[in-house]
Amino acid sequence: MKREIDFVGKRKIFIAISLILIAISIVSILVKGFNLGVDFVKGTEIVLKFNDESISIADLRNKLSEIKPEYANSRITKITSAAEATKGAKFQVVLKQFFDKPELKDEFTNKAEQIFGKDNVEILSFRAVSGQAAQELKTASWNAALLAIILILVYITVRFQFVYAIGAIAALIHDALITLGFYSMFSIEVNSAVIAAILTLLGYSLNDTIVVYDRIRENNRRLRGNPIDRIVNKSINEVISRTINTSLTTFFVVFILLLFAGVVLKPFAFGLTVGVVVGTYSSLYIASPILIGWIRKFRRS
Amino acid sequence: MRLDRILLIISIVVIATAFFFLLFPQSGKASKGLSAIFSNIHLGLDIKGGSVLEFAMATEDENVDENQLANDVIAVLRNRLDSVGYTEATIKKVFAGNKVRIRVEIPEISDPSKAERLLGKKGKLYFAEVLDSKVQEEKPTEKPFKYQDAVWLKNISAQRYYNETEWLLVREDIRIGAKIVNLDGSKVKDARASFDPKEGYVILLTFNNTGRKLFADITRAMINKRLAIVLDNNVLVAPVVKEAIPGGQARITGKFSIEEAREIATLIKSGNLPVDLIKVEENSVGPLLGKDIILQSLVAGIIGLIVVMVYMIVVYGWMGVVADIALVYNTFLLFGVLALTRSILTLPGIAGIILTIGTTVDGNIIIFERIKEEMRLGKTVHNSIAGGFSKATSTIVDANLTTILAGVALYLLGKGTIKGFATTLIIGVIGSMFTVLVVSRVILDLTSTLIKNKYSKALGTNEGVAK
Repeated sequence: MKREIDFVGKRKIFIAISLILIAISIVSILVKGFNLGVDFVKGTEIVLKFNDESISIADLRNKLSEIKPEYANSRITKITSAAEATKGAKFQVVLKQFFDKPELKDEFTNKAEQIFGKDNVEILSFRAVSGQAAQELKTASWNAALLAIILILVYITVRFQFVYAIGAIAALIHDALITLGFYSMFSIEVNSAVIAAILTLLGYSLNDTIVVYDRIRENNRRLRGNPIDRIVNKSINEVISRTINTSLTTFFVVFILLLFAGVVLKPFAFGLTVGVVVGTYSSLYIASPILIGWIRKFRRS
Repeated sequence: MRLDRILLIISIVVIATAFFFLLFPQSGKASKGLSAIFSNIHLGLDIKGGSVLEFAMATEDENVDENQLANDVIAVLRNRLDSVGYTEATIKKVFAGNKVRIRVEIPEISDPSKAERLLGKKGKLYFAEVLDSKVQEEKPTEKPFKYQDAVWLKNISAQRYYNETEWLLVREDIRIGAKIVNLDGSKVKDARASFDPKEGYVILLTFNNTGRKLFADITRAMINKRLAIVLDNNVLVAPVVKEAIPGGQARITGKFSIEEAREIATLIKSGNLPVDLIKVEENSVGPLLGKDIILQSLVAGIIGLIVVMVYMIVVYGWMGVVADIALVYNTFLLFGVLALTRSILTLPGIAGIILTIGTTVDGNIIIFERIKEEMRLGKTVHNSIAGGFSKATSTIVDANLTTILAGVALYLLGKGTIKGFATTLIIGVIGSMFTVLVVSRVILDLTSTLIKNKYSKALGTNEGVAK
């Protein structure tokens, strides 16, 4: 009555594609590294607004070195968003120095007002993180990620079988690595909100995976005797319209957020936008097809 | 039908409660526009603007009770902030491993450096004997040989209230016979302004037990001499000792105005920080950035909502309308719960709310697809709804629980504003489960006649979904 899309038959090709993507991501992460925000490295992040919109990043860098020569090697990003309540050119400046004393901040503010004009420049926000605090945020993020993965692993093992948990975790690592690879490749800032984004997308991707697994479990009972690859493929096909519709609506929401987000939420929205695509792909082409070998073994024994 | 009626009543009661907490004014503050609708939502400083400072305590002694020390620090900082009008600031202990930190949050502050200067200063307050005085502009340089351990300090109360520059030669090591006595601010239990019918406004000092004994000795030895109270190398006030004061309660007179008496009392009381504070983290956000953020998230949220709503109607027809109602329902429910629990809405929290749109829609989609499958089997719409829900409930619970688990991990171990994200995510996901399983269900049941059953007449339609 209806032709099925063959997800399972070509699984080797898709697993190969995923492995290549993962390899590229790992290379980028190792070679290029991450553009870490002040949350994770000691420093001071200042968001500046200029009424004079003609100022460029190069101008700003020049002028910053007048405040202190070592400020010249700070990271400067121009902030753009589709919606803004305040007019003017906005920049995010990340200094390597941690402003531990109010005098440093006062000096920065006073000299900036001198150089750019008091009416022209305004400091919108100011975030200073000491080496110690950055280390703590890092540790907290790792712990949160670890705890989340353990909780999920336990839950799936209890609700399904351990084989499924392995499949789900493999898909999660796949999603996390590729999304992080995108952060590295596009030099998007990684801050503590990004950790939240990664954990959320793991939750989402898992959500997709579980819906498929749920169906495999049901069909496995109902269609006993059928070959496992047939059952898996049928199950994916049965839930695909749900997966597509859900992923599309979630994609709309996070993509629109990415368009309109300002300085703080942009990195967050970026991860979710990439993650929804990668997560949907992995739950259709990776999470279930890689189960086939394992389930076969399991059935034989 | 009975079940439907119960579910309908639950749905209405829940949303009515949410609206009550959202709209019923709790603060009594008048606000207008959007802020009036959301006046019961507590906004984080990263949205409404303000300064968050976190300090570590530089304790040298390993055995010190950090918890008690932190309480003392908080009391001093509270005084300092109140004395300059930051009464809405909050100061609390936070824990970093086994270390105690002090976290200060000051809303809507225009000059965070000022607060930082005020807070970070250790503030050394001590009592000193006055050996000499001079009224002149320039700081005197000469001091008699026998007073080499004394210093010339400016008397700021003379400067401020009598507009004359008085310099006092003061010595911290007070001599009583051959003995040296030190009396510092940690021995002062309380200092306050008070009114005396004869003397006008006075400052009342109360010493603790050790302070009472020292102060008694000092006053006994210094009758008719001046005793200076010094804070950070300025003489706050230098009254003449009239008599020995054994009771630990002193009264400083000096024709003060109420403001003068209050200010000096506050300075004395908030003088000593028992330990140096080291800033470990600061986050200061001006009010302009918050405006941008609110506008951006509002626009993104509304456009996202509209796109999703239209998509759902196009794909699912009447069931899409039900999903849209569920979407709006859950959004208000989420805001209501935020108001009820007095959770603080941070910027990542707004992202959590926007993500809730996705979760709510997903639950509905899972249900609708199941209902369609049931209809394909030839069941009536009504039976399909019942069958769809009974089969999809466990899927929805399984799928959402994993998101909740990720949220719980973030809430337990995340720091700062990320906790706000975990809060809205968890509330949103739980709300969406309720909305899908209860609210959507009751609306679908009650309006089942509006749902088209494409599969009832003929099998083999060209519907492009899997069969």
